[in-house]
Amino acid sequence: MLSQEESGRVFALLKSDHRPVEEIVSDFTSKFPRHHHFAICYSLLLLLEDKKALNSTERLVAFAILHQAYSSQKSSANPFISLIINTSCDDEAEKYERAFILQLLSSGTSNINKEFLKQSAADYIKGFDASSHSFPQHEQLQQQYCDKVHPEPYNSSHINVSVKNVLPDPDVPHGCDANSPEFELQTGAKPKLGSGDRDEVVAGLLANLSLKGLGPQWIRPLPPRFPVLDRELEWLIPDNNHELVWDHGMCADTSRGAAVRDLIAKALKGPLLPAQYEQVVVELANDPKLVYHCGLTPRKLPELVENNPLIAVDVLTKLINSPEISEYYTVLVNMDMSLHSMEVVNRLTTAVELPKEFVRMYITNCISSCQNIKDKYMQNRLVRLVCVFLQSLIRNRIIDVKDLFIEVQAFCIEFSRIREAATLFRLLKTLGLE
Amino acid sequence: MASTNSGGDDDGGLLSVTASLAKEASLYFQSRKFDECLDLLSQLLEKKPDDPKVLHNIAIAEYFRDGCADPKKLLESLNNVKRRSEELARASGEQAETVNNLGNKVILGAKGSGAGHQISSANSGSLVFMDEFDTSVAKLNIAVIWFHLHEYAKALSVLEPLYQNIAPIDESTALQICLLLLDVALACHDASRSADVLMYLEKVFGVGGVSQGDSGSMVQQQSTNLLTKYSSVPSSSSVADVSNSDLAASVNASENPLSRTLSEETLEDDTVLVLSSFEISGQNLARPVGLSSSNELSRTLVDKSISTVDLKLKLQLYKVRFLLLTRNLKQAKREVKHAMNIARGRDSSMALFLKSQLEYARGNHRKAIKLLLASSNRAEMGISSMFNNNLGCIYYQLGKYHTSSVFFSKALNNSASLRKDKPLKLFTFSQDKSLLITYNCGLQYLACGKPILAARCFQKASLVFYKRPLLWLRLAECCLMALEKGLIIAGRSPSDRSEVRVHVIGKGKWRHLVMDDGILKNGHVDSVGTDDCFFGSDGQPKLSLSFARQCLINALHLLNCLELNYPKFGLPSNSSLEENESMEVTSSKNSNLKNLTGLDSKILVGLGQVTSNGDAKEQKGGTSLETIQNSVSYCDDMCERENQMIKQALLANLAYVDLQLENPVKALAAARSLLELPDCSRIYIFLGHVYAAEALCLLNKPNEAAEHFSIYLSAGNNVDLPFSQEDCEQWRVEKTVDSEELIGGSMAAKNSSPEDSQDVLLLNPEEARGTLYANIAALFAMQGELERAHHFVMQALSLLPRSREATLTAIYIDLMLGKSQEAVAKLKQCSHVRFVPGGFHLSTSC
Repeated sequence: MLSQEESGRVFALLKSDHRPVEEIVSDFTSKFPRHHHFAICYSLLLLLEDKKALNSTERLVAFAILHQAYSSQKSSANPFISLIINTSCDDEAEKYERAFILQLLSSGTSNINKEFLKQSAADYIKGFDASSHSFPQHEQLQQQYCDKVHPEPYNSSHINVSVKNVLPDPDVPHGCDANSPEFELQTGAKPKLGSGDRDEVVAGLLANLSLKGLGPQWIRPLPPRFPVLDRELEWLIPDNNHELVWDHGMCADTSRGAAVRDLIAKALKGPLLPAQYEQVVVELANDPKLVYHCGLTPRKLPELVENNPLIAVDVLTKLINSPEISEYYTVLVNMDMSLHSMEVVNRLTTAVELPKEFVRMYITNCISSCQNIKDKYMQNRLVRLVCVFLQSLIRNRIIDVKDLFIEVQAFCIEFSRIREAATLFRLLKTLGLE
Repeated sequence: MASTNSGGDDDGGLLSVTASLAKEASLYFQSRKFDECLDLLSQLLEKKPDDPKVLHNIAIAEYFRDGCADPKKLLESLNNVKRRSEELARASGEQAETVNNLGNKVILGAKGSGAGHQISSANSGSLVFMDEFDTSVAKLNIAVIWFHLHEYAKALSVLEPLYQNIAPIDESTALQICLLLLDVALACHDASRSADVLMYLEKVFGVGGVSQGDSGSMVQQQSTNLLTKYSSVPSSSSVADVSNSDLAASVNASENPLSRTLSEETLEDDTVLVLSSFEISGQNLARPVGLSSSNELSRTLVDKSISTVDLKLKLQLYKVRFLLLTRNLKQAKREVKHAMNIARGRDSSMALFLKSQLEYARGNHRKAIKLLLASSNRAEMGISSMFNNNLGCIYYQLGKYHTSSVFFSKALNNSASLRKDKPLKLFTFSQDKSLLITYNCGLQYLACGKPILAARCFQKASLVFYKRPLLWLRLAECCLMALEKGLIIAGRSPSDRSEVRVHVIGKGKWRHLVMDDGILKNGHVDSVGTDDCFFGSDGQPKLSLSFARQCLINALHLLNCLELNYPKFGLPSNSSLEENESMEVTSSKNSNLKNLTGLDSKILVGLGQVTSNGDAKEQKGGTSLETIQNSVSYCDDMCERENQMIKQALLANLAYVDLQLENPVKALAAARSLLELPDCSRIYIFLGHVYAAEALCLLNKPNEAAEHFSIYLSAGNNVDLPFSQEDCEQWRVEKTVDSEELIGGSMAAKNSSPEDSQDVLLLNPEEARGTLYANIAALFAMQGELERAHHFVMQALSLLPRSREATLTAIYIDLMLGKSQEAVAKLKQCSHVRFVPGGFHLSTSC
């Protein structure tokens, strides 16, 4: 759409019927920036399409602008070429207009045939002689000036289907013919009902015509505003006051637990004396964090279990809330079966709540150790131990026999020659699980 | 082991000298005599040059001596101390054996879910340092500073490793770490982490009456042990001591009678609810100075008796906060009652705030206001600010936006005057909640239709909320609202949304009507797309469509990150928008999905137990654990649902914005992603189809566009309602309404709904249907099927008689059918056409 000021200037150009056309055209090309040319020409085109909107001189000027604005290129590149050619072949159009257009077309890009542009539009019409002109057929012109089909300027599909957004709406008394000359504005006379000024319309249209025209309109609903979520509004509550802390470890006695560390190191090598054992238990009880600093690691656990199972139980019990405890369990499950390891597990089961998976795996390991052992004497010994261990677990309701029933039953049958296995088997029977 | 110490203080004499100096220094520190304290510390430093712990305490003491002015400087010193300790530890080689990864630890699995993620990464690589290199106190202090500066992510990054390996840490420090972590997790709305810490506290410190079989005795022993230790905390740490001494005063009235009478209790008749400064440090109270050891001793005795209850109350309040966070309102109600019982006769302001929040969450707004009034000590700025903010929240929920704005701005004023307090204390920073209040303000401005003010608020709040997708959605909404109100220029002039503008050109027989096509005069569309600068020179956000687009992209990105972190209910990836989601991710999502189904059944069992147990055994340990676990999974579900809702809104907004920016390719991608979302609301499915169809049309693919309408077409020429009124209701009220007390709540909800529904949802189902008719008509018109187009546009006009677009399409169709007389007639009959005079004066140009 043109700005007010632009459309005013375009209108002034159209109205200057006494200036040489050439001058008007050069005015146009110099005064308007190139990228506005198309929009202006398009408005002119819309005005030209409405045959009554412009008077004869204005039409000539408009055609000249339409053509000359693109005269530097081939005529087929002129986006308005079809209108230009159609009008030149329009039998209803005035002869001088058709002749003027044909001259424009034949002038092409050269300057030779441009003499006729040196006169004003009014003079051209005045001096026009129809006999000196021939009017070729549409096809011929089409061939001559539109060597190839020029595509419409593409913007979006809307433009392909759009119609002019201007509707004539003559305001004349009912039943009158709007085209009758009675409604022309008489200069000097009092304007009568239904008369109007054409110039005003041309200027107004120039200011309001738009490039896109009118197309089908889409409704684009605005997305709804997102509802305020439950927690979105910030509800404030008083903070807890977290204060900076003084480090009481400053210059503290770092020998803390040194004795225990030494004793644990000893405990890995061999059984401790009762007094030493007492000391470890007491010191660990006095300082609940000492257990983390006593030098024990999962890897060292098997040695501790074998040499001092009671200390191992004590330490593991204290480590029960440590994240490392699972490492200790893993070591315990995977170490060689022995009286001491079983003792540790048995005592642990009564002291703390062990993970079910751990107990289960431990039992499975016990059973398979019994089966794999080669030495008959050792096997018997181990089987008896396992049986006692299992009985203890079952009696204390540490394990749910249902989980391990088949495994344990098979174990009992395999070693039924051993008295303890038979006892365990009977215990299973009394539980009535079969 | 001590012999390996680089300090070389094997000499017992020296040891005792430094130890006694250290003890003296700590006593000075407790009595807030920082100059004397620093004197001693510098003497210590001479004896033990470069000792990290001495340096640590010097940093802390200096910070207090200098009036807590520069937390950043303190952070720096503490970080240096930490680094120094770690270097020394490494140098001494006194490292515990690193834990070797024994292959099959997976089999054992997690014992309680509380231990869940502790085990996995537990201590691989973390070293158990000897006491002298222990950095846990320094790290705790670093986290404390970050916490007070609202830098929760940073605090978390420090606390999390500490928590993972908390067992060896000294008990009072460990407890403080847990409590701080709990506060941080709650502040971050991180339900599962809060649950984890809460369960750990219950398990290890055994507070809250948990007894678990045989291990109970051990735990009990441990916890009493802890409590004696904990009770020594107040007397050993300076400012915390102040609040606690005040507490002590409430029991032991002779302690500090002056400050009592000075406090605001006289203003409140309800002396039971006297606000002592339990949680809100009594800043004005000067701590009685003196090093009298007998005084110290008696205090510890008093403190010990208090702090058992004190800790119990504290944990109970944490539990309530957690339950509120997870919106387990029923349980929260029970627990808050319990908290009030524990708090009987002592400070209960926190409990009252939480109780008010509970009623607010349940929609009992009047009750919430009452409780707030009872709890608040409005003379204290920090409290007053929170009080006003919370009232603002309540009035917002009641739909009284104007009143809420009054309270929000009061709250902001309180906050501002809080900041003026000199000298600044660390606690002042954390008390300054102005950014949170500002967010609330933003919401309120948005509800009042003031997009520019709202955007300013959201931009300020983005300092804390920049990771929340919702913030960015709100900013985008500000842009769209500004666009709608014509405050920013877009391709379409604003006032034309509702009416057809017709320019009347000329008079008499020359009269012409020019239909405005909505392209703004001089509104160069290209200026919209190329605007890269989102902030004006004044630093205020410059609302524009491209800014909206950037916000939406940010939000989508954040949402996708969230989904990757919690891939529980893995969404099918939206191929067009999230190309970078690899196959691995999706497969892991699937496996997670499997895990979840297992988990679900377990939870269901747990729920059954809860209901069968009833209220009687609510304090039983097992039930409490299950409650916490259930709450977490419920909360996860809820967050997932909310994120799904947000995602729908984001994609719909993105499609709309891209259409406005004349970028149909991107708009189409967004609309398609929206349509691919699982469980998409029918409202958003409708929008997705409408946007996709328009985008396809702009891309000159009318046939594909038609496919998007086909699902709404029945019997050829009729359009179904794209969604129902229930869909709208459902979308708005995805709230957890407590079924117990709907009476009061629903009343309030009903009162507020008319105001709400209008500004939240613009379309009603019938209008949506009209939109479909109009757009189908436009589509047929484009395809040249003018007769069908005519049928649809007439339907559209009967549903949307005021629609500008439908009217213009109808006129277009008439013109195309050559019925220009009818077109003119239609224009003249239409009630909402505005005829504007041509307004062009020849005189200026001729």
